[in-house]
Amino acid sequence: MAKAQEITVRQAGDVSVIDIKGDVSSTTGQPIEDAYHKVTAAGTKKILFVFAADCYINSGGIAILIGILSESKKKDQKIRMTGLTSHFQKIFAMVGLTKYAQILATEDAALTDF
Amino acid sequence: MSEKKFELHVPSVLGCEKVAMDFAASVAKAMDFPAERVEDLRTAVAEACTNAMEHGNKLEPATKVGVTLTVVDGRLQVDVEDEGRGVGTVKAPDIDSKIDGQGDTRGWGIFLIKNLMDEVRFESTPEGKNVVKMIIHLER
Repeated sequence: MAKAQEITVRQAGDVSVIDIKGDVSSTTGQPIEDAYHKVTAAGTKKILFVFAADCYINSGGIAILIGILSESKKKDQKIRMTGLTSHFQKIFAMVGLTKYAQILATEDAALTDF
Repeated sequence: MSEKKFELHVPSVLGCEKVAMDFAASVAKAMDFPAERVEDLRTAVAEACTNAMEHGNKLEPATKVGVTLTVVDGRLQVDVEDEGRGVGTVKAPDIDSKIDGQGDTRGWGIFLIKNLMDEVRFESTPEGKNVVKMIIHLER
C-alpha cells in the first residue's frame, strides 16, 4: 500500500540536498538513512531534506528522522528541511524536531545563508 | 441529527492504515470539516491503526483492525479496535533524550493522537480487545 518511493541526492554548492518522494515510515526509512549516510561519508556538513508535497509521514518516519538528527548532532552537521505541508510543519513542531532542524518554506530560502 | 455509522476492517499489514485514514477523511470532508482538521484526523487515524496492527495484533496478517466512524451533531467519533494479542506501552516521548541517543527513537503515535484529537480514550472490551476512541469536533 506504500506509495512508490524515490530518494535522490544532489549537490547545491556545499549543501547536500536529499529529495524525498513517497512514504516516510518505518518500512520505507532505510533508503533515506542510506542517502544520509552516503552524503555523510562524502564529508558534507550541511544537508537539506526536500519533501514532496504529497509525502505521507507517520510516527515511524518521524523516528527515522530523529535517528538521523541524533547522528547529525554527533557529527556536527547542520540539517534543514523544506517542502513540508503546513500540517507536517505543525507535526514536526509538536514533536520538537524543529529544535534540531530548521524548516523553511522554499528550497531557495533553505539554501540561503545555510 | 440522526446518528450515522460507517465501518471498515483492514488487515494488520503496515501501509493498510492509509486506507483507513482516507476512509475517515472522506467522511470528515462530507461533514465539512476544515482542511486542517481533516489532516489532523488523517494522522490520528493512521497512528491508531498502526498501533493496533503492531502492538494489538502483533502484525499477524490474518488479524484485522476495525475502524468505526460515528457521525452525530457536528462531531465525528472514530473507534479503532484490535484483536487483543498484546498491549503497547504508553510512555510520554521526549525529543531531547531521543536525540541524545537515550532510548528508542520511536513511540510518537499516542503522543500525536492525544495532541491532534479533541477527546481520546483507551478502553478494553470484555473479550480483551483494545479500543481507541477518538472524537473530533467540527468546531474546536
